[in-house]
Amino acid sequence: MPSRSEWRWLLEKELRELAASRAFWLLLIVTGALVGHAVMSASELYAEASGIGGGPAALSQGLSPLEGIVVPTLGAYDLAATLLFPFVVIRLVAVEKQSGALALMLQAPTRFGASIVAKGIVLLVAWGVALLAGGAALVAWMAIGGHLYAPETWTVVLGYLLRGALAIGVGAAAGALAASAASAAIIALTVTIGTWALDYVAAARGGTIGAIAQYTPTSALASFEHGNLRVSTVLILTTIGLAGLGVAAAWLREGRPLARRVGGVAAALTAAILACILFAQLRSDRDVSEDRRNSFSRADEAALRRIDAPLKVTVHLAAEDPRLTDLDRGVLAKLRRTMKSVTVEYAAQSRSGLFEASNSHYGEVWYELGGKREMNRSSTEPIVLETVYRLGGVAPPTAAEEPAYRGYPLAKRMAAAPWIFFVAWPILVALAWWWATSAKGREGRGGATAVVG
Amino acid sequence: MSPSVSAPVQVAEARAGATAFDVITVDNLSKRYGEFWALRGASFSIRRGEILGLIGPNGSGKTTLFQCFAGLAPATLGGVERDGTRVPPDDRKRLLFFVPDGVRPWAEQSVAWTLRFIAGVHGASRDSVEAISSSLGLTPLADARLHELSKGEHRRVVLAIGLLTPHPLLLLDEPFDGLDLRQTRDVMAVLRAHARHRTLFLSIHQLGDAERVCDRFVLLSAGRVAGEGTLDELRARAGLASTQRAGLEEVFLALT
Repeated sequence: MPSRSEWRWLLEKELRELAASRAFWLLLIVTGALVGHAVMSASELYAEASGIGGGPAALSQGLSPLEGIVVPTLGAYDLAATLLFPFVVIRLVAVEKQSGALALMLQAPTRFGASIVAKGIVLLVAWGVALLAGGAALVAWMAIGGHLYAPETWTVVLGYLLRGALAIGVGAAAGALAASAASAAIIALTVTIGTWALDYVAAARGGTIGAIAQYTPTSALASFEHGNLRVSTVLILTTIGLAGLGVAAAWLREGRPLARRVGGVAAALTAAILACILFAQLRSDRDVSEDRRNSFSRADEAALRRIDAPLKVTVHLAAEDPRLTDLDRGVLAKLRRTMKSVTVEYAAQSRSGLFEASNSHYGEVWYELGGKREMNRSSTEPIVLETVYRLGGVAPPTAAEEPAYRGYPLAKRMAAAPWIFFVAWPILVALAWWWATSAKGREGRGGATAVVG
Repeated sequence: MSPSVSAPVQVAEARAGATAFDVITVDNLSKRYGEFWALRGASFSIRRGEILGLIGPNGSGKTTLFQCFAGLAPATLGGVERDGTRVPPDDRKRLLFFVPDGVRPWAEQSVAWTLRFIAGVHGASRDSVEAISSSLGLTPLADARLHELSKGEHRRVVLAIGLLTPHPLLLLDEPFDGLDLRQTRDVMAVLRAHARHRTLFLSIHQLGDAERVCDRFVLLSAGRVAGEGTLDELRARAGLASTQRAGLEEVFLALT
């Protein structure tokens, strides 16, 4: 384990290399512009829906700052994590390899893995700095009287932090494996495009591919954006990020025989896959949304928890059938979260369901509980719940008394946003860039650091 | 550049003694790339406190030998022993430090910070940074970024990196490449002083430079060791013992 002094040197080196990276400063400037554009568009639309134009306002229950402001604003970071941040990561890993600095670091007394961990930490800090633009947007929203519900907002922020960790893992592995930074960039983009393809295929096929696709960046982020904090998603994204660093650490030990390096990479990947399979079994999650969009009413939850018998659901709907999407992401997800044991079997024989007309069961959803079975074709929550209560022998709760989500209309424009994101933010970034790379800035930080002895 | 030869000596004295060795033996070190043997059964020894020169033309396998020796490239065959005990590649970073030729590390960082970083990572003192910087004439360049340096200046920074490490054996690949005549002489003086308490193994393709600075030589040709010893020993082996004026160049040509 490196000493505090060694950690300090490693972290300082990576921070200095980050500050010397034009890609990092470009990331900051571009994310500022992207976030600015996103928050201005979102707040404009929100204000219009709230009746700023003089027309009829939308129902206030439909005006959720999570969907209206937080998600579209921070959505800018998906683009940044896909197309900009990987280059920052790759530069920090690949340049050392190309310049020969890697040969010097491989001979340092510090464990080489610590050097890679230091890179990971500093890159996470870099991504955190980039997220400050999003933070500024949300503060600006609150400054004009906008409402934010902290648990759901922080969950989305956590999602994007993990998205950054994922980009760090992929970028570090690509930077280590590829012969040049350009090749590494191609690999990193290929991985991203691969996850998009996986999402596309999963939408059509479901099954195992669908289960894996729950953890692609797009799907994982969607979970956080719906205010659903899933332990499995957090652990799996973290594991993939760490696995990328592990691959980099194993492959960059150039003095080891090829077979041993390949073995190290394979071991890192195998450990990560096994950990992900294990974590995927975890069902623990929390609905942190203010409007409880991922949950039944509290009365329904209490009633469903009284049912001890396992519920088996057999769905005769094809993967591409939109009714399955409604059922799966709506009522079945809520049942899984609430009841003690829920098993879902997907019984359709085809992808589209268009040619299953001869199968008289197509479209049916069978519910089996305590030896009793019942079928209906609805994906509507009250109808499904009624079926489950009937099979479970539990009386449905009386009309819910909990207050409905009231929504937060705000008919105000964010006039300061262009000044913040297109004037103040770029100036701030440029000043920080100048300070970090100027002789004065370098000497100031270097002078504060004492050498051992 | 005005070398102060005593300062690096003090640095080396302070840190190299604890891990010293008597003899390091390179045994049958070989490296194959596909069907091509870049290094074939290289065997020789390094004695404590000497300056050993690795002599050979471009493409003779000098850099490959250094990389395999330092554990930065996997050898196909062979190994390294320290006083009769095998040293696995992963453990060699405790025994020796290799400064490769052509490295351009941390181009955006200043000379002063780079040397402080190396000293910090290897546990050297601030005094040693100042002493080595001064001895290699780097003090006026302290605030310059590495990418702003000339080839000769950069070479001296890379040398300083090597001199700041505490290992009992230091491998330098082409330490005089890019230096002018005066700089070469000054760096030789610094290395000579440093070698009083540390063993140096230098890869040099300029035979005149090698003859001036090294105590013994390993001659490498087409990946094979063609000879090992002092200049007198090599002259004798080449049948040139009677010709006291025969230089390393004639000896090398006679033996390869």
